[in-house]
Amino acid sequence: MKAADVAQAVVETFADALCVSSLGTATSALRAASDDGPHFYLGASMGSALAAAMGVAEAVPDRLVVAVLGDGELLMGASALWSVSAYRPRNLVAVVLSDGAYDITGGQQLSAPPRFAAVAQALGGIAGLRVSSDSGLRRALAELGRPCLIEAELTESAWPGPSPFVDPAQVRLAFAANAARTPAS
Amino acid sequence: MVTDTPRLDWQSAVADALVAAGITVAAYVPDTRLQGILSLLADNGVRMRSLTREEECIGYAAGQRIAGRRPVVLMQSSGLGNALNALGSLAVPYRLGLPLVVSMRGTLGEANPSQVPLGRSAAELLRTLGIQAFSLRTAAAAAQVTAGAVTLAFQAGECAALMLEAELGGGREGS
Repeated sequence: MKAADVAQAVVETFADALCVSSLGTATSALRAASDDGPHFYLGASMGSALAAAMGVAEAVPDRLVVAVLGDGELLMGASALWSVSAYRPRNLVAVVLSDGAYDITGGQQLSAPPRFAAVAQALGGIAGLRVSSDSGLRRALAELGRPCLIEAELTESAWPGPSPFVDPAQVRLAFAANAARTPAS
Repeated sequence: MVTDTPRLDWQSAVADALVAAGITVAAYVPDTRLQGILSLLADNGVRMRSLTREEECIGYAAGQRIAGRRPVVLMQSSGLGNALNALGSLAVPYRLGLPLVVSMRGTLGEANPSQVPLGRSAAELLRTLGIQAFSLRTAAAAAQVTAGAVTLAFQAGECAALMLEAELGGGREGS
């Protein structure tokens, strides 16, 4: 799987979801998969994306919220997992692009395997699963209880496409309109 | 966990002004001087989110704000250092207009040397990011300054910080 495949599976499985993506690969992949859809693309603020997704999830409880996160990103803000475990928003799905590297800064390796799915399971209240195939990912997206964390093991490193350097004003306005919309049934 | 705690007049005025401004959720890292405000917000039905780190509070509040809700972030001045990147690369460029309530340490009456550097620089750090910081020193000014900061945040779309100064009491330096 490539990052682009993971984002594609997310938008195909949850066409009506509000997505939040972390800087770098995740934002580029979500932009490509959703044709620049009205999602919350973070252009920086590394380590904040899961917290932002939890904020959206609790603000809009009748919509599904998917956080698309780099593994280096989540490592930097990993304590937010403890908050997800504490407050357990039932409409939150976190998908981690797990390739063990900081792609946006040049592919430097993470110093240790992050094991996010196992951590999520250990914390309690978060379903955690590591997947290594497109079919496994799609099954996990559809079937896991929520909140959940799906660690998608990337086997191929390929830059998804569009720039991750988004226009904050444009992102904010488009996302606000999307969040205010009545959910599709 | 928000526990029973004495409520000082200025704490009541700040909390009332936040509630009157339509605050629906408070993201915070606990602090002695904030405690009375936090318990009053909870009593008024505000959703309370004790999070693990100040930048996480900014991220959470950014999610709430971009989805159209009215959050407030509360932290101690030492934690402002943790929040700077999320403020400078998320809240400010996305013009999310977050109201911040910062409990000051490291100034008048501070006995802990380690609190001083961030305390004395907190307002300047915020201003360098383009965030106005308003010091609150008396109970008489609490309602007006709080309401003004929240208006700046929600209506002008500018992050605005209310700095709870040591003269107010209710903090560690008074104990």
